[in-house]
Amino acid sequence: MHKFIEKVFSLFIRLMAFMSIFLIIFIIFFILKESLVFFRQVSFLSFITGKIWRPVSVNPSYSIFPIILSTIFVSLIAIIIALPIGIGCALFISNYLDEGLRHFVKPYINILSGIPSVVYGFIGFLVIVKNFEVKLAFSSGESILAGGILLSIMILPFIISTCDESMFNIKNKYLTTSQALGVSKWYMITKLILPTARRSIIASIILCLARAMGETMAVMMVIGNSPIMPKLLSKGQTIPSLIALEMGGAQVGSLHYHGLFAAGLVLMLLLLCINIILYFLQRKLNF
Amino acid sequence: MKKINLLICLFLVFSLMLTGCNKADTTSGNDDFKAEIMFSGSSTLAPVISKAAEEFKELHKTWDNVDKSFPNEEISIFVSSGGSGAGIKAAIEETADFGLTARAVKSDEKEALGEHQEYTLGVDALTISLNPENPILEFKDNFTSEELQKIFSGEYTHWNEVDDRLPNTEIVVVIRDIGGGAHEVFQSSIMKDIDVRQDAIQSPSMGALVTKIIENKGAIGYASFGAVNINEGKIIPLKVDDVEPTIENILNGSYKISRPLIVVKKGEPTEAEQKFIDFLFSTKGVEIIEELGFVPSN
Repeated sequence: MHKFIEKVFSLFIRLMAFMSIFLIIFIIFFILKESLVFFRQVSFLSFITGKIWRPVSVNPSYSIFPIILSTIFVSLIAIIIALPIGIGCALFISNYLDEGLRHFVKPYINILSGIPSVVYGFIGFLVIVKNFEVKLAFSSGESILAGGILLSIMILPFIISTCDESMFNIKNKYLTTSQALGVSKWYMITKLILPTARRSIIASIILCLARAMGETMAVMMVIGNSPIMPKLLSKGQTIPSLIALEMGGAQVGSLHYHGLFAAGLVLMLLLLCINIILYFLQRKLNF
Repeated sequence: MKKINLLICLFLVFSLMLTGCNKADTTSGNDDFKAEIMFSGSSTLAPVISKAAEEFKELHKTWDNVDKSFPNEEISIFVSSGGSGAGIKAAIEETADFGLTARAVKSDEKEALGEHQEYTLGVDALTISLNPENPILEFKDNFTSEELQKIFSGEYTHWNEVDDRLPNTEIVVVIRDIGGGAHEVFQSSIMKDIDVRQDAIQSPSMGALVTKIIENKGAIGYASFGAVNINEGKIIPLKVDDVEPTIENILNGSYKISRPLIVVKKGEPTEAEQKFIDFLFSTKGVEIIEELGFVPSN
């Protein structure tokens, strides 16, 4: 009897594992299938290198190069802003706070990641965008920079919790030795903890890049959604915001509709490429 | 043994996937009374249906109160919003009982629908609205179609090009998503074949568009008639080609930027569905449409 239950249980677990794999395959298959219709009429190269996205015009044009650029641009700005703050915060929590305070502070940082993105978007719209207009006299505050600043706040908790976890373990491993050798805390941080934690720092960058590039609602509210070449202070449009904005209105089965699936495919490929590049970079630098 | 396990797993997974295929057959059978009605589509029309559904439920509670021949089942009406295109898609694929659209049903969509019913509940008009602090309001209360074309296409980029008494500040053009129902109305009634400038701000919702006009002094956009009434004084609607956006002008068609609000049903509605549609056209239903800022069609 006992054996039978075990058998059933193992079968059940296998089934679930297969299910999740099938789900991924199914999603990829679905997006591929929908976008293939599009690529039969528009070449892949002109889709990702052309400059004008004008799907419902009388002379339509389907190219998302500026949109791809904006997606990367916004995410990079977010990471450039968030990384130093996040690493600093993680160092502080793992090294300078005692156990009790650490357990008190961490949940609050994790709450940051639980706030719905539309709330972030709303705050960004009424605070960041508004201040760009009032304080900096922009004609309109919607900009790539506004999106980057907002995203940097949103990805901060991910950087902090990924880095803090490993930094805390490293600290525990080397603390006694360092204290026995009499090196200063600062020396321990710069020579031991930071170099040893680089793996998790890279991991957090990958995680956040994926998250930043996929973020939809918050970015959509502060970036202006104009499919033009992005500049730091100009408007822009990211791939997820393009899909979210236009999917509701696109006529089902039209080239526009399939073009949005194709944009989704490009986003997935983009993330895959970035992951692969970072993976090889990591190996090459012998991290 | 392992191979058999694997085979069983695969078999189970596939059978699970195939159960999904069966779904359409079971729901389309109309033998049993269906106490639920699903609406899906235009985010403009969705609040109207939600509000009406609420009132309808409060009034009758169960279906047997609506009509004696119906069973004693609780009334449940669901509304999900996702755009006009999605609404018609839902009606075609019958994932919802009714599709909601804030634009006329296109001919190829009609083809896909086959035999269908269209109920026009009312009209929504788009008003060309400005921030009350915009200095242009001292000189002008009217835009011609040509001026609007030039502003929205990007031929005019600064306000002093529209009128030389105005300051040299940038025009901030705010539009809804270019694939959506609202923009389609604006495109066909004002822009015709000309494209809107690429760097216009695309707002994800009508609320966001209105907020942008309220927050930004140099902004111009097409706010819905309902949104203007709700935000009276915070945004100022202008005449278009000397026609003021009033209820009379919208209904008699002389105000040109307007769109119909249509509920689409594939095939014939069931008796219960018909009762709810009747309710939408009753005095109470018309009141709700008016209350939410639209112009009822009857």
